[in-house]
Amino acid sequence: MTMPLYALGSFDYAVAMALGTVLGFFFGLVLEGAGFGRASNLVAQFYGDDMRVFKVMFSAIVTAAIGLGILAGVGVVDLAALSVPGTWIWPQLIGGGLLGVGFVVAGYCPGTAVVATGSGYIDGIIALVGIMVGSVAFGFVYPMMEPLYLSGDLGGLQLHSLMGLPWPVLAMGVTVMAIGAFLGAEKVEQWVARRNGTAPPPAQVPLRNASFAAMGGAAALGLATLALPQVEATLDTPDVDTIAPSDLARALVAAPTDWYVVDLRSPEACGKARIPGALCLAEDDPDAAFLADLPPTRTVVLVGQATAEVPASAHAYAGQVRVLDGGFDAFKANVMTPPEPPEVPTPEAVAQYRLDVELAGHFSGTATRAAPIQARPKAVKRAVRKGGGC
Amino acid sequence: MSVQLAPPTQSTDTTDAAPAARPLWNPYVAGIALGLVLLASYLLFGWGLGSSSAPTRAAIGAMHAVAPAATEANAYFGPYVADGGNIFEDWMVFEVIGVFLGGLTGAYASGRLKFQGVIDKGPRISTQTRVAMALFGGVILGFAARLARGCTSGQALTGGAVLAAGSWAFMLMVFAGAYLAAPLVRRTWR
Repeated sequence: MTMPLYALGSFDYAVAMALGTVLGFFFGLVLEGAGFGRASNLVAQFYGDDMRVFKVMFSAIVTAAIGLGILAGVGVVDLAALSVPGTWIWPQLIGGGLLGVGFVVAGYCPGTAVVATGSGYIDGIIALVGIMVGSVAFGFVYPMMEPLYLSGDLGGLQLHSLMGLPWPVLAMGVTVMAIGAFLGAEKVEQWVARRNGTAPPPAQVPLRNASFAAMGGAAALGLATLALPQVEATLDTPDVDTIAPSDLARALVAAPTDWYVVDLRSPEACGKARIPGALCLAEDDPDAAFLADLPPTRTVVLVGQATAEVPASAHAYAGQVRVLDGGFDAFKANVMTPPEPPEVPTPEAVAQYRLDVELAGHFSGTATRAAPIQARPKAVKRAVRKGGGC
Repeated sequence: MSVQLAPPTQSTDTTDAAPAARPLWNPYVAGIALGLVLLASYLLFGWGLGSSSAPTRAAIGAMHAVAPAATEANAYFGPYVADGGNIFEDWMVFEVIGVFLGGLTGAYASGRLKFQGVIDKGPRISTQTRVAMALFGGVILGFAARLARGCTSGQALTGGAVLAAGSWAFMLMVFAGAYLAAPLVRRTWR
């Protein structure tokens, strides 16, 4: 797997910015060609007389999703290395509805306002000024909006993992739905045109059908990659990533539902002492065959005594798999044992100590208290997660 | 083949007397082209396209120049300008500069460039009202894009292509919001 190039370290950020300008050029060129540099063409979507916003957007989504599926299927691109916009369901639902209102009031969305500005539309640059004002306004009322902004955090939730389907299958499903919806949109356009006594947008049937065939054919090609031998799975056998005990402990506290901790030791050993929440192997399933049946929505962490052999069934698991570095012994020694207070109470050491004490208490089930330390802990800066996306 | 997107009565820019502009691209062909650009972004960088954070950065950069202390102290703006970094040294700022140049080039090449600058609006409202609507709508857009962590580019398009659940929810709500509001602002456009 060699792609994505930047994320896998092929070039540095300065090159990325230069290439980004070139890519943006084509983005703008296509948007302009689609007619998105002019408000009338965009809002026509919402009065039903020309649904090109919908057609262009969904053709684009389908094309990119299919392309990623094919390239992942043949082992060129690593889907796990792509940055996926996180799901914060409430701000996305409310922000989305609000953005739709802004879209039809202004006649543009942010990207198309930029294209309109380039095309010589004064209303485009005015909308851009409004967008600047609006984002600054958001910053000023942010303290009030923060509970909403951070609510409904579901992590990097993706539809295919939610439904437990391989990517190309979902891409095909979306393609079929999109083509059906396109035909429906054309019916609506004709109906509105009849009612208004105007001409519907030109049908261009041969071009349309060729586009549908291209999308459908590519989606089928994506499905065909599922039949390829899973070369990566066997090649990856020695490469299952490890996770450090302290990292796992923090991750389990922060988001327990992101993980399946699977204890591979004998059922007796696991029954005696294990990481809280860990799944023990059943007597009749020493090879952890049940892993293959788990929904692939979480990361599986395999826990051995001191190291973990990766059972073959772990490769059948469709989600991510990690191995706990040092096994249960290391977790017990590093996380479940209360730490000694730091000898030199630097703010960092004290903060780390308190965290370790909390984690030890959490995972050993005994409420340990941090020994008092005569130093003021460093104020912890509140980390606000910002969307990178748009 | 001529593509008449909006009946002539709906636009006021006929005074611009542009020589016959080329027809717009077929929407499905344009969509596939847009999808390939988006795919290229994922293959090259690992992330997709975006727009709204460029104007956000421009606004915060301007604010930082005028009132540095207040900007740094703000819970939302602070991280953008922390550590003395240049707020414009950002991939998306450069990408959006590219979008502007691409739009300009496309409009010029197709004969759609309005050299004099025009305002696009329906026949029933004044230019002043349209300007106010564009500004007001823009404010809503800017606010909404920050709340949702992205806009039609960075959420709907980009997140939609990698099957992000929240981006699909966002996209459905954009259409829902726009369809609900469209009858209320009909006078602006029709």
